[in-house]
Amino acid sequence: MKNVMEKLKILSDSAKFDVSCSTSGVARRNNGKIGNAADFGICHTWSADGRCISLLKVLFTNKCVYDCEYCINRRSSDVERASFEPEELAKLTIEFYRRNYIEGLFLSSAVDVSPDHTAEKIWKCLRMLRKEYGFAGYIHAKMIPGTSPELIHAIGLEADRVSVNIEMPSSESLSLLAPQKKPKEIFSHMRQITNTLIERKSLKGPGTMFKGQNVNEPANYLDPAGSSIPEGPKVSEDPEKYEHQIVATAEQGKAASGNQLTKRKKRRKEVFAPAGQTTQMIVGAAGDTDYKIMKTSEALYRSFKMKRVYFSAYVPVVQSSKLPDPFTAPPLRREHRLYQADWLLRFYGFGTEELFDDKHPDLDLEVDPKISWALRNMHMFPVETNKASMDMLLRVPGIGTVSAMRILRQRRLASISFDDLKKMGVVTKRARFFITCRGRYYGEKTFTSEFVRGKLTEADQGTQMSMFDTAKLPLIGAAEKKTGPVISGAAIGTAGGRRFINAGLSV
Amino acid sequence: MQDYLYDGTFEGLLTCVYHHYYTEKASGIFPSDEYQRNMINRFCQVETDPEKAGRVYAAIENRISKYDLRRVYKAFKSDVENKEMKILDYLVLGFRVGGRISRMHAHETVIPIQDAERHVSKDIDKYLGLVRFSECANGVMYAVVEPETDVLEFIAEHFSDRFRNEPFILHDTVRGKAVIAHCGRWYISSFTEKDVPAEGSDDKEFRKLWRTYFNQIAIKERINPKLQSSIMPKKYWKHLTEMQPDV
Repeated sequence: MKNVMEKLKILSDSAKFDVSCSTSGVARRNNGKIGNAADFGICHTWSADGRCISLLKVLFTNKCVYDCEYCINRRSSDVERASFEPEELAKLTIEFYRRNYIEGLFLSSAVDVSPDHTAEKIWKCLRMLRKEYGFAGYIHAKMIPGTSPELIHAIGLEADRVSVNIEMPSSESLSLLAPQKKPKEIFSHMRQITNTLIERKSLKGPGTMFKGQNVNEPANYLDPAGSSIPEGPKVSEDPEKYEHQIVATAEQGKAASGNQLTKRKKRRKEVFAPAGQTTQMIVGAAGDTDYKIMKTSEALYRSFKMKRVYFSAYVPVVQSSKLPDPFTAPPLRREHRLYQADWLLRFYGFGTEELFDDKHPDLDLEVDPKISWALRNMHMFPVETNKASMDMLLRVPGIGTVSAMRILRQRRLASISFDDLKKMGVVTKRARFFITCRGRYYGEKTFTSEFVRGKLTEADQGTQMSMFDTAKLPLIGAAEKKTGPVISGAAIGTAGGRRFINAGLSV
Repeated sequence: MQDYLYDGTFEGLLTCVYHHYYTEKASGIFPSDEYQRNMINRFCQVETDPEKAGRVYAAIENRISKYDLRRVYKAFKSDVENKEMKILDYLVLGFRVGGRISRMHAHETVIPIQDAERHVSKDIDKYLGLVRFSECANGVMYAVVEPETDVLEFIAEHFSDRFRNEPFILHDTVRGKAVIAHCGRWYISSFTEKDVPAEGSDDKEFRKLWRTYFNQIAIKERINPKLQSSIMPKKYWKHLTEMQPDV
């Protein structure tokens, strides 16, 4: 029997590739014994790889019956195995929480015995945390594909956010790398979660994508018929019933669900996953293009109204003929560009089709997707800062949501000069090529996409170059140098050119 | 024109603002313990007057906006140099243009206050996550912070609600004061090293577990200390459990 320290070591190590750490989206005063949740989310620390830590992120167990190619915990992999006891994990969470180490718990798991068996254990642990310890902090629960709808529902009642990982952007790569995971199962869980949220009028939708629209309309209700697996029963308002069923056995629960609505006690309103659902995709394990990845993300946002789609740069942990060589570095640059594109979808009113053209199914690694879009659409620029609409301002490279809002507010009072823009937080280094201010253009003489591109990459490299061994890098990136390991952007890394060698892996 | 000296409280500053309008224009406002006399300026010690301060307080709220009242208060809690005069300039402009002032993002009088407010807000945000409690022998939870800005009262309510059933002390060693909280109620009191309760015995074990977790969760292939310290600058590290070596 392993002690808590050893279990924590093994089970946190296995959970580290789950990207989500957000704790936002739910505001709650302390309605239990300990804990509350802040709408804006709170980060508690940042690990050595620069990712924020806000949740105790662990697997419940890493004993797995599945054999997914990319996964370190696959059945055939020779790693040390461990499982928490519900009691043990609940206690650890509380002790970490009261020291303010964490904002809550992120609980995922490998599939031990069967999906239902594992999900029931997860549920027991969450239930214990909520009821016995009175924990009112944040809980993110991962759903295991193939779990019964009743258990998914029961877990959703305890958790703040739930997620089912889609893993791969296409069913082909999923069946190649994770043959035991069925796309239909994954989508049927997502459907169930979204439908439950609509029923409770608590679906919120991603970013500002559905601003001004009511996403809780019955029209958004997803047709369960699209799935081969029958949808869960009509949602019951009585959780006690569900507990009873789950204990009784999940299969019987399905049959017994008919008369659940008859007995309805008056009770405090229960909430189902108030922070919505998310999912995660691995980037760079199979040959999918960025276009495919973004297309799938957009579909997930539009149909399931997911809060987030996370991307995880594939880190080779196992050797397999179906996967990239174990010595390839994770495609961090590509992951970064995908996140930028993801933001453009959720907050800037872009559509996937706009971000790609026929010749380029992958995002430009040299410049960010917004610049890349602007360079392809030079006919729309320059725009006059004092007149352009909000939608257009958001499309100018160097202007973000905050500065666009400020421009709008400010220009009601007085016209804006170029110097004002800088003070308002606009990145004029980039924006100057795409705007005019009081009729004047602040870029340079030539206004062609090649020229501006050259200027922008030059400015980028000039400031970043000194960090690296310059001899290895191409000099000032002219437009044709698309494949060079160009390095910029503090969010990417300090490890030098090597890590980007496989950045264009899937091309 | 003369320099006003006040007692370092927000009410004191508001009293100075009152005198700026009704007695004599201010050439400078300083906390009395930091003031250096000079040959040029006359100075006058302002006695904090709740009634005068209250009138200015209400005037800001009614004639500028509630939002700006909060903004000015936050700016007051920052460590910006000469913040008193910057606040006075902001209020003078505010009384002229009203609530519009918070939308004048590029005005030279507004920018310093906007920045000071942002600095304090950022610190508040960071400290909600970066406070580390340890359990003392008497069961009280105790945490030390050394914030650049005076954030205690902004984060107190959050922790007091979160740890409603647990008595805790949140100690700001820079300013020698602490939040004392229990049962969802809290107050701020002066506090020194002498008052710190003795360390508990279980705590070491959890600190060790936490450090283990912290080290495990980083992906080796993505190690990036520069990114880490740009998001979490080293000034915050001093009292972080995970940044201390294992004892």
